[in-house]
Amino acid sequence: MLTRRDTLLGGLCALAFPRIEAALAAQLSYALTAREVAPGTYVVIGKREYFTMANGGDIVNVAFIDTKDGAVVIDTGSSKRYGIALRQLVERTTGKNIVRVYNTHHHPDHFLGNQAFDPSTIASTEQVSKNINSEGEMLAENLYRLLGDWMRGTHAVTPGVVVADGEEKFGDHRFELVELKGHTNSDLVILDKNTGILFAGDLAFLDRAATTPHASLSDWQESLDTLSKVPHKLLIPGHGEPDSEGRAVTQTRDYLTWLSKTLEQALNNGLDMTEAMSVPIPERFASIALAREELERSVAHLYPGLEDRLLPYIGQGESQAL
Amino acid sequence: MKAIIATLVATALLLPGAALAESKEDPLESVMWSSMAGILESVNEGKIVFDDAVSVVTPSVAENQMEVPVTVDATKVGPVEKIVVVTDFNPIHHVLTYEPIDAAPYISFRVKVEQATPVRAAVLTEDGTWHVGSALVDAAGGGCTAPALSHGQEDWVSHLTKVRAKIWRYAEDQDVRLRVKIRHPMDTGLADGIPAFFMSRLEVKSPDQKVLARLDIRQPVSEHPTFTLKPHLTRNAEYLQLQGRDTDGNLVDVKVPAPNATSSTALFH
Repeated sequence: MLTRRDTLLGGLCALAFPRIEAALAAQLSYALTAREVAPGTYVVIGKREYFTMANGGDIVNVAFIDTKDGAVVIDTGSSKRYGIALRQLVERTTGKNIVRVYNTHHHPDHFLGNQAFDPSTIASTEQVSKNINSEGEMLAENLYRLLGDWMRGTHAVTPGVVVADGEEKFGDHRFELVELKGHTNSDLVILDKNTGILFAGDLAFLDRAATTPHASLSDWQESLDTLSKVPHKLLIPGHGEPDSEGRAVTQTRDYLTWLSKTLEQALNNGLDMTEAMSVPIPERFASIALAREELERSVAHLYPGLEDRLLPYIGQGESQAL
Repeated sequence: MKAIIATLVATALLLPGAALAESKEDPLESVMWSSMAGILESVNEGKIVFDDAVSVVTPSVAENQMEVPVTVDATKVGPVEKIVVVTDFNPIHHVLTYEPIDAAPYISFRVKVEQATPVRAAVLTEDGTWHVGSALVDAAGGGCTAPALSHGQEDWVSHLTKVRAKIWRYAEDQDVRLRVKIRHPMDTGLADGIPAFFMSRLEVKSPDQKVLARLDIRQPVSEHPTFTLKPHLTRNAEYLQLQGRDTDGNLVDVKVPAPNATSSTALFH
């Protein structure tokens, strides 16, 4: 009986799988489009969604700038496949080689496209480079689970160039690099001094809830204060629409202030994690995509640490090991 | 695939010991259900019903598989003798047994999960019936076989069995809320080279030494076990006593001060 079923299943598989694979292969391509936000400056806007099989991880904003010396790329997307699509888009749009690629931080949607680029052109802060080196493969593995075949062949590539606070010049463009922290322990912010465009990475979100897996909320707030004082014409958030009105910084700060206060209040009122995950979200955050999902994730990230800080210390048991 | 699972379930139902599950179908159609029923049967032989009155709340996706929060609330079931929590697809199925002797049938805790799994709370009532509530958690995996984070800290032993705790009273409710967190690696014995070592027992006592709540804790409970319980506490009682032990005989014995009866907090602000 088992043999018969095996044979039957085998026959079905042979019939069905080639068609399924062909259909999937046809679907698995990123339709990346470049939006010109200033002469020679382009952004590729990701969906305001979490990683899904349907979006393939096309959920992040990346950018590129056409300079006289060649193209400068900021972040590389979620997969090798995304990186290749991005490189082709950059080369097609600018008609030039890529001379510099920045990774703003070590989250998988921002650096797992690195494979498509020459490692000697990829730059990050020393800390981001360390993070990618130690956590990169683990982050990639998790995305294989979430994105399946979109990730085929993807590996973490550590940036070959370390940059610190200062200026890099490519052709006619001067880029000011500033290392901040809070979203992760190292967040690179890039200001194009020629165009006044500020590439904020994931320190700024717009109409998409901020994520906190490696966050320090207090550091993040300080970094937002710093960002708000940097004169700029346009801000490109890591997720959400380009912003010329200061909304991204204001909204991210408002959300993080609410999040921090709400979690502390939940803890001080005796709520456990599942209960803190279900507290009401204010009406003013109604436009923010994934607010409930990210609140749940933030409780998972931040609540245990809050307990260690805010639950009163009562005493210690008698330890046989001491 | 679904057909194969259905066949396996059907086959399993014919096995002795799985007859308990016959009365009602597992809403999650898990191939491991008959084994879970076996665990319940070993505690108490009796009817098993899947009962929506037993609320099991978990996030549908485990953001951190080492620490998945779970809240079980069986208040709607009526008087409860025991709550047994099991996870179908963990290498160690039995998570904990809670006896709310003089407490509301409510418990929040955190569990390690090795892969996507149903989390079950089986509630034993006086008539010997198990009322089972279930929730499904999706997870990346590796929660039970990864070493505890404690072992990355050189001084973890000096923090062993440190207790953080607090009691809240509510104006409209005679139950109090007790939250307790105990520093402990909760080693499962499944991580390479690290033997099983975990908090195994915790009792909540009133000042007159009455046991209000008793917990039998197993390896799948997360590192630094953290519980929220709702014991009954008289208005004039000044503290709750927590007594516990781990598998190496390390003892916990602390008194958690209770706020005075006039203070109260609103749960949701």
